[in-house]
Amino acid sequence: MSKSLMIVDDSATMRKIIMKTVRMSGLEFDRTEEAGNGAEALEKLKSAAVDIVLCDINMPEMNGVEFVKQARQMDCSKNTKIIMVSTESGQDLIDNLISSGANGYITKPFTPERFQEKLTPFMN
Amino acid sequence: MLEQMTMEQTILDAAREVFETMIFMDIESAGSEPQETSPEGAALMGSITFRGGLEGCLTICLSEACARSIAANMLGMDSGDQLSLSEVGDAVGEVANMTMGSIKHRIQNTYNDLQVSIPTVVSGRQLFPMPGEDFTRGQVCTTLDEIFPVTFSMYYKQAQS
Ligand SMILES: [Mg+2]
Repeated sequence: MSKSLMIVDDSATMRKIIMKTVRMSGLEFDRTEEAGNGAEALEKLKSAAVDIVLCDINMPEMNGVEFVKQARQMDCSKNTKIIMVSTESGQDLIDNLISSGANGYITKPFTPERFQEKLTPFMN
Repeated sequence: MLEQMTMEQTILDAAREVFETMIFMDIESAGSEPQETSPEGAALMGSITFRGGLEGCLTICLSEACARSIAANMLGMDSGDQLSLSEVGDAVGEVANMTMGSIKHRIQNTYNDLQVSIPTVVSGRQLFPMPGEDFTRGQVCTTLDEIFPVTFSMYYKQAQS
């Protein structure tokens, strides 16, 4: 089944690295989008919904925590799976994100295996 | 507060994790002799500040050639020669960011409230971090792939309560 992916990170280089790592993990998407912060990601979701979002936390404009909260209130992204990808690793923050509606968490530095493990459940 | 030696070991362990997992370059300690922070010629310095129970800043200083190798490896490219300086800088910022994230994770039992800034990167020559007064300095000099010197410096102090 065809799937779409959006990568949200303020670093353009990190977005490319995440894309490379997703490819290495063997997962395939027929459409991929990028956004540089939460606000840009929300705008893109309004014009075309995606299945899975990989989202950084520390970003200017709108951070990942605020993005999750707002994405969950929009019809177009109610069912989008949102997986956070961040250097932040505090359990309180992770719990807070999950209760706000995030579906998973990957810490940086990451491996292709980690993406495969966390994304595969949402690929069907 | 964390002993300087403990902090230096923590920085090295964190840097190893980042370089081994995502950059696929071999990183070794270059010994404890203090060295010049800035490499010869064109260089980059990535820095990230933190506050909470402990406050200060982590910097990573390296030559532009080294930064290009790192960026190329992170992106899965054969060479970093074609990358723009902004792409190379972006990669250095992410190395600082991930190293700080790993340090934060390693010291979270002592300091569980650290807030980390967005990394900044400068390029030029003769780059040195400029901390305020009263900071303890932890410095880790490393060698990347047996050729490139890379220096991590952590300036930190206990926050005033
Ligand atoms: Mg970021």
